Amino acid sequence: MRADAPMRGFATALQGGMGTLWPHLRDAIGARSRVHGSRPLLTATEFQEELAILGLSGRKFVPSDYADALSDYLGISINIHVIPDDWYPELSRRLAISGRLGELRYSEQLTLAAIFVPGSLPPLVSTLTILHELGHLAAGDVMIVPSEEPGVSHGPHAEGVTHTTSPVRQGKKLARGSPFAEETLREREANMRASYALFAGCLGSDSPYADAMFSVL
Amino acid sequence: MSAVQHQALVLGAISSVAFVFFTYFALSSRRTTFSVFAACNLLFVTMVFGTVATFDLSSERTEVVVAIMTELPVVLIVAWVCLALARRLPYLSGTLPVEPAARRTRLRTLLRSAPYFLLFFVGVASVAGFVFPSPAIRVYAPAPIEFFVMKGLIMVPEGFYASLAALVFLMAGRSSGLKRRLYFKNLAFSLGMTFIALIALESTVFAGVRVWVADQNRLIILKTLNTFETCLAISCIIVFAVGLSLRYTPAVAGPLLQRLQTGWLHAQEQFESQEWRAVSAGAAQRLRDASGAVEMACRVRNVSQSDMEKALATIRLVAVMRDPSSETQHITPEAARKLYELQEEILGDDVLASKISWAAGLRSRASEPQTVKSAPLHDALRAALDLIDDNANVVPMETRPLWYWIAAVSAADARIIDPSVLASVPPGDYDEYRTAVDAYGAARTSMQTLENDRERRSQHDNP
Repeated sequence: MRADAPMRGFATALQGGMGTLWPHLRDAIGARSRVHGSRPLLTATEFQEELAILGLSGRKFVPSDYADALSDYLGISINIHVIPDDWYPELSRRLAISGRLGELRYSEQLTLAAIFVPGSLPPLVSTLTILHELGHLAAGDVMIVPSEEPGVSHGPHAEGVTHTTSPVRQGKKLARGSPFAEETLREREANMRASYALFAGCLGSDSPYADAMFSVL
Repeated sequence: MSAVQHQALVLGAISSVAFVFFTYFALSSRRTTFSVFAACNLLFVTMVFGTVATFDLSSERTEVVVAIMTELPVVLIVAWVCLALARRLPYLSGTLPVEPAARRTRLRTLLRSAPYFLLFFVGVASVAGFVFPSPAIRVYAPAPIEFFVMKGLIMVPEGFYASLAALVFLMAGRSSGLKRRLYFKNLAFSLGMTFIALIALESTVFAGVRVWVADQNRLIILKTLNTFETCLAISCIIVFAVGLSLRYTPAVAGPLLQRLQTGWLHAQEQFESQEWRAVSAGAAQRLRDASGAVEMACRVRNVSQSDMEKALATIRLVAVMRDPSSETQHITPEAARKLYELQEEILGDDVLASKISWAAGLRSRASEPQTVKSAPLHDALRAALDLIDDNANVVPMETRPLWYWIAAVSAADARIIDPSVLASVPPGDYDEYRTAVDAYGAARTSMQTLENDRERRSQHDNP
């Protein structure tokens, strides 16, 4: 391939150089260090940062507290509906047959999210299912711009394997990184968020990750 | 010995004592990357002051170099602290930012800018010092205004970032629910950074006095300021050493928590959700009749709600484990035994077992949350394994409660388990077994009566 490169003066070269350097400098001092590209899976410490942003770090909380805090932060209304089996017996059966435990519906126009879980779920599973669906909202999975490119996982990285992320629509999300392009990874990360949230909510100030936020030196 | 050498000797002695104190007390009690870095800085400062005290440095440019070299370690300490507060040293410091910085994006950005601005101003000050040399380390000598500019270029940003870090530590220390040790730790660091900010302010004033105050008063003021600076430096080193030596061990270790997340929680969630799917999808048909009878029998014998839930969970588990359909293929006695053993591991740690709980309902803060011990699954797993896994039972039950026998009788009646399992009831359990048989019989009778009544009423309404 052959390209005709234009003649460049000193000012143009300097401008170009600054243009190249600026994103690195912005990235170095900026708070949002991860842009769309690739990233590893969420760690417990990164989740603790999210909790701090929500004001829940070091506090005991239940899924409804997490939902309320997330709702305030994202500026959307989050409703959790635990549907008793007597009301709609088919819900449990349909979800069970489809291999799911709950469902998240999100309307960007109405700034409304609704989580549906059957009342017959065992308490621990119910709690984790609600936290899982809230995890999708926190990660910004509902703002993904559909792409035809398949998600690619990169080789071992300094912090582990990195995976391709997806571009997202304009909007607020809690997670610092973009959502993964691959659906299985998004589900896996939502599961991780749920388990981190369960333990963080149980342990409150006894969580080692919460303590680490007050012992930085 | 000149005044410069004398002053360098005093400061060098303080630095060397601080280095020894730091190495023996702070590093021996708690070695962090920061404490090693701080110790290296102290050693460097000691060497610089030692050099000045030993050799008579008469060139003004050399004085500028020495002055900047003595300021550099403090600048680096301030930069390091700011970066650590904003989590910008993932390999050298903690992996989390301090809580107040995590919540405030602008504050975090400001803290992250510290090394760039501080080193930039040190660079500018160095250039200014070389272009306009001044008697930088002759402490009591009058100095030109260029000296004040050079000093201010370093001290003002240093004071600003040190004050900012002190404020952030103070905010962290005032967080609600903080452990006492962490409170004192943050307070110590806040004081330490305040002392550094005060030293920066004092140094700027000191430079101003050297430039603008006349001979007579200058000496008195400078000596007073020097004493003040020495006191501040000693206090700063002491509070930093105290802060670093305050060891805090969390109640629950991170690696243990990770093991629970990937081991127990994952296993229990998988087990319970697969069981729920199998039951909800209708894979275990025989379960419905048996569950109704168990519930009724428990009510007949006034069995507590929690025990009734255990009986229901047991019959559900037994039915799912004995069901040959593909939906229940993952719910095996092996999986049940593995989960039971993981639960037992958690229950072995009293502190942890009491802390890990989950709501029995969504907005149920008022009601009692479930724990590994109190959740019906734990006892139900044991009971189900006892009923099914008769040839490889690792968890034999010593005494079997009434709810167990109700579940067993019901499972045998519904042909979920082989009725012959109940043929050899241990003598110690015979009374409970008989009570369960009677309760189950009464439950079946009343269920049949209710069913007959319903049918009769239906025929009466629709002749």
